[in-house]
Amino acid sequence: MTQRTLDEPAATVAAPPAAGPRSGGFARWWRDVVRNPWGKPRFLFLFTMLYMIWSLAPVAIAVLFSFNSGRSRSSLQGLSLRWYTGDPIDSVFHDPTLRGALAQSLKLSLLTTVIAVPLGVAFALGLDRWRGRGSGSSNFLMLLSFVTPEIIMGVSLFIVFTKLLSLIGLGTNAQLLGLITFEMAYPVIIVRARLLSIGKEYEEAAMDLGASSTQAVRLTLLPMLLPAIFASAMLVFADTIDDFIIARYLSAGAGTETIPIRIYDTARATVTPALNALATLMLGSTMLAVVAGFLVYRYLTKGERREGTALDSFAAQM
Amino acid sequence: MHEGAAPSAATRRRRAKARGDEGIRYPRWFWPSFSIPGTVWIVVLFLLPFYAILSVAFGTIDPIFGTAVPVWNPLHWNFASFGYVMNQTFLIGGLYRPAFIRTITYVVIAVGASLLIGYPVAYFIARYGGRYKGALLVGLIAPFWISYLMRMLAWVNLLQDDGLVNKFLLDLHLIGAPIHWLDGKPYTLVFGLIYGYIPYMILPLFAGLDRIDGSLLEASRDLGASRTRTFMHVTLPLSKQAILAGTIIVMLPMFGDYYTNDLLSKSPTTSMVGNLIDHSLNSPQVTLAAGLVVELTILLLLPMLYYLYATNREKRLRSAA
Amino acid sequence: MHPRERRAPRVWSRRDFLKRSAQASLAVGGAGALLAACGHASEGPPPVAGISPSGSISANGGQSSGLPYPLARPNSPVTWDVYDDNQAIAPGLNAEKGATLQLFNWADYIWKKTVSEFAAKYDCKVQITTFDNTDEFLSKMRAGDVPYDVCWPTPDMMGKLVTAKLIQPVNHSYIPNLGNVWPSLQDPFYDKGSLYTVPYTIYSTGIAYRTDHVHTPPSQMSSPYQIFWDSAYKGKTFILDDYRETTAMVLLKHGVTDVNTGDPTALNAAKQDLLAMIPATNVKYDVDDYTEIPEGGAWVHQGWSGDMISAQYYLPKGVPLSVIGYWFPQDASGVIGSDIIAIPKSAKNPVLAHLFLNYMLDNKVAYANFYNFNGYQPPLNSIDVDKLLGDAVPQSLPDAIVRPEDFDRGYQLLELAPTIDALWHSIWQEFQAGA
Repeated sequence: MTQRTLDEPAATVAAPPAAGPRSGGFARWWRDVVRNPWGKPRFLFLFTMLYMIWSLAPVAIAVLFSFNSGRSRSSLQGLSLRWYTGDPIDSVFHDPTLRGALAQSLKLSLLTTVIAVPLGVAFALGLDRWRGRGSGSSNFLMLLSFVTPEIIMGVSLFIVFTKLLSLIGLGTNAQLLGLITFEMAYPVIIVRARLLSIGKEYEEAAMDLGASSTQAVRLTLLPMLLPAIFASAMLVFADTIDDFIIARYLSAGAGTETIPIRIYDTARATVTPALNALATLMLGSTMLAVVAGFLVYRYLTKGERREGTALDSFAAQM
Repeated sequence: MHEGAAPSAATRRRRAKARGDEGIRYPRWFWPSFSIPGTVWIVVLFLLPFYAILSVAFGTIDPIFGTAVPVWNPLHWNFASFGYVMNQTFLIGGLYRPAFIRTITYVVIAVGASLLIGYPVAYFIARYGGRYKGALLVGLIAPFWISYLMRMLAWVNLLQDDGLVNKFLLDLHLIGAPIHWLDGKPYTLVFGLIYGYIPYMILPLFAGLDRIDGSLLEASRDLGASRTRTFMHVTLPLSKQAILAGTIIVMLPMFGDYYTNDLLSKSPTTSMVGNLIDHSLNSPQVTLAAGLVVELTILLLLPMLYYLYATNREKRLRSAA
Repeated sequence: MHPRERRAPRVWSRRDFLKRSAQASLAVGGAGALLAACGHASEGPPPVAGISPSGSISANGGQSSGLPYPLARPNSPVTWDVYDDNQAIAPGLNAEKGATLQLFNWADYIWKKTVSEFAAKYDCKVQITTFDNTDEFLSKMRAGDVPYDVCWPTPDMMGKLVTAKLIQPVNHSYIPNLGNVWPSLQDPFYDKGSLYTVPYTIYSTGIAYRTDHVHTPPSQMSSPYQIFWDSAYKGKTFILDDYRETTAMVLLKHGVTDVNTGDPTALNAAKQDLLAMIPATNVKYDVDDYTEIPEGGAWVHQGWSGDMISAQYYLPKGVPLSVIGYWFPQDASGVIGSDIIAIPKSAKNPVLAHLFLNYMLDNKVAYANFYNFNGYQPPLNSIDVDKLLGDAVPQSLPDAIVRPEDFDRGYQLLELAPTIDALWHSIWQEFQAGA
């Protein structure tokens, strides 16, 4: 949703040196940290674990209930795929509203990613290398859009598409335009952070070897930016599929409702585990994108990081 | 498409070199052209909407529906509706005043609690995560990948009268009868806000704490400072920036939150500013919604700008170091 | 009665519109101020404009001058204008091929099987978009080129819908089933000749309650509406998410039977009482009475008769039907109404939409929709209301049946003049803000 940090991308691509013990297996870590006689880390360990449980268990339970064979969302009556495919009326597969929401969510996040990322990458390159008149304002506007709370952007976009650009009107097009605006800053910021560590030597070398400016960018800069581009694409995808406010205010009826909108509309009314199933499918899509993203990221950054830190650095990108 | 343009890149570079001007290697239009699509986009779909919202907030109202009629010409702006919104917010007995006070109270409590819970977690992972740091970090980030509304839905399930939380408490004989968590209790809502937003607090905290050089802490310990002293005089001051970042990141969207209230309470006694905006937007009173958004923007502009200023300064300091 | 024969429309010029819009903007700002000024004069903001909510505009007059649209009243029916640029479709057209019929409806207000059978019969797809309240309905309908083919408005917004050309006239040649409807509703006061709408269902607004949690049923209370202020049901009390129904209920509690009043004194008293409900019972609002009552989220819920009849389908396993109670005054001196279906002007599939309207008035289809899912009675001659109890309507809910004669005694929520409408809105807005 709206919450965003400017800090994350700044976290270094290579893993920072860990302060804790590095070598040895789980037993060693356990001995050093958990059974630490000084007690403080032990308390912290417990606290962190409790936090993790508190943070993730409710979601795990919600996922579990999506497989309930009964109608209840509080008592488990056996496991089945009833709410995914089995139920001929109310399952995600058979209920056109739920199926439509899933399709719309996937469509919006894919299209947003495909458009926002190239736009953002170009913007990042431009802002990084172009120091002329107007670049400062451009940069400021982009950063401002990044920290503007989503409700402010959602309401103002709603007004634009109903009062000013009514030719476009509400619906998929409006949702897409709004989401791209909201997400574009991610690739800009992540790619710019990466550009800082690259420098201009590579392009200069390429040009010395006779490459044109376009070729220099295409053949040297872009490949080096690929991990950052990829990480930002994953981020945009994961963020868009969860988006609620903009997608809701710019939707035009059942055909353009996304999964979070369905959850919001029905969470307090009569709900079957089909809603949990729908939410689980969304979770699955995001996870799939993130895992795929991680694997590609690990492949792309193979040469430049130390062993075992792919997860750290990928996580730092997110 | 522009490769054919004379003079050739090599010639240009030679000329640049001759001028002793190493930096200029690209045509003047080259990099600006990368910025143009993004700039145009953001002007049309970010800046223009701001103007549109002003035109509605300072506009008039359609006589039949009572819906907003924007006034595009600033010379003809009409401040009656906005004055009404301001009065209702700031005057004693004003309509929106309770919701504003409530929102500020909830946000302060929720942000404070997020910090108190989040700091130890971030600290532990940054300092003692060791080889499991990556895995722990994934646990921290996982909520980013799970829809906020799904996480609230999970709690709606758990907090039902016959939900697992009540069942659990009843089994332990901690309560005699089910607690109606969802009937409009402010603490359920604040709990929801903390639960929903805390990952966004922990991540910048982690990033900040992780950046602290371990040798500084060792030096402090070597010089005889106690753990507590080291924490108070080294770690905490060094993480000030991260605390500030986390606070603002969590605070900004919380001020516009309406869905947490709608899912976990839905009572008018817990209405927040976001709810006022949402209600007005889904009614003929879009003018009032726009007025409230303008007001909220004014209220949040300072923290937004301060955040941008602070991160920018920090970045400059870091790249200078 | 062919639509084209109607008299020439009154045309609104742009300037008229702007002038009025400026006035209205003052009125919205002023409405709350006026109410506030009535209540606690010293605290409220100064009134912005001097438009009297009751003085200049008569709330009950039919086509009184100065109003953008006539106000339909049972004793002053309205035959709506049909505009040159908003005509009914020609007769005898073929249904659109491969279309997706878009419905814009309240949530759970039509049986899925009714819809899927229509889709099968006419070889199309059907998609339903839902809204929560009439405000949301109007604001969505106003948001430009709406994609809906069929919509479910309420009679109290006819003037707005027709004047702003948001719905199109219906061509009766496609709707022979209109003859199945009660004669009174074939030619209703809010749309003489059914030029723009056809009836869907009828309902009353009463008190829905849990018989196993409520100590004194409303029927045995001297002032049944007082139940909404009874702190015994704190946290379990709901009213409808509807700016008209809620204030109307408080007016009735106060003995004000003009549920369309523009009298600031009566409205202010109602507002104060409505706000008093918040500390008394921590009241909440939604239109989910049909699930909140059977599932136990609410013990007392301002409710619609049809929602209580359909509530039986949402009872959790093991909960007996008898826990659902519904009260409506024996003499029908409560809020009563009829719901309608219309076709938005921007409908992409107007022929299918006409066929759908006709389909919903088919005796068998309408009864199946009512009996199996919806719970709201269709006003059809073929349904004998005296035989409903114990069959379509659970034995324990006699008050939920709506009879034709109830319309003679009940109070209907009717269209308000814009300034008065703003006043009503400001009450609801203040309630929602949870002062």
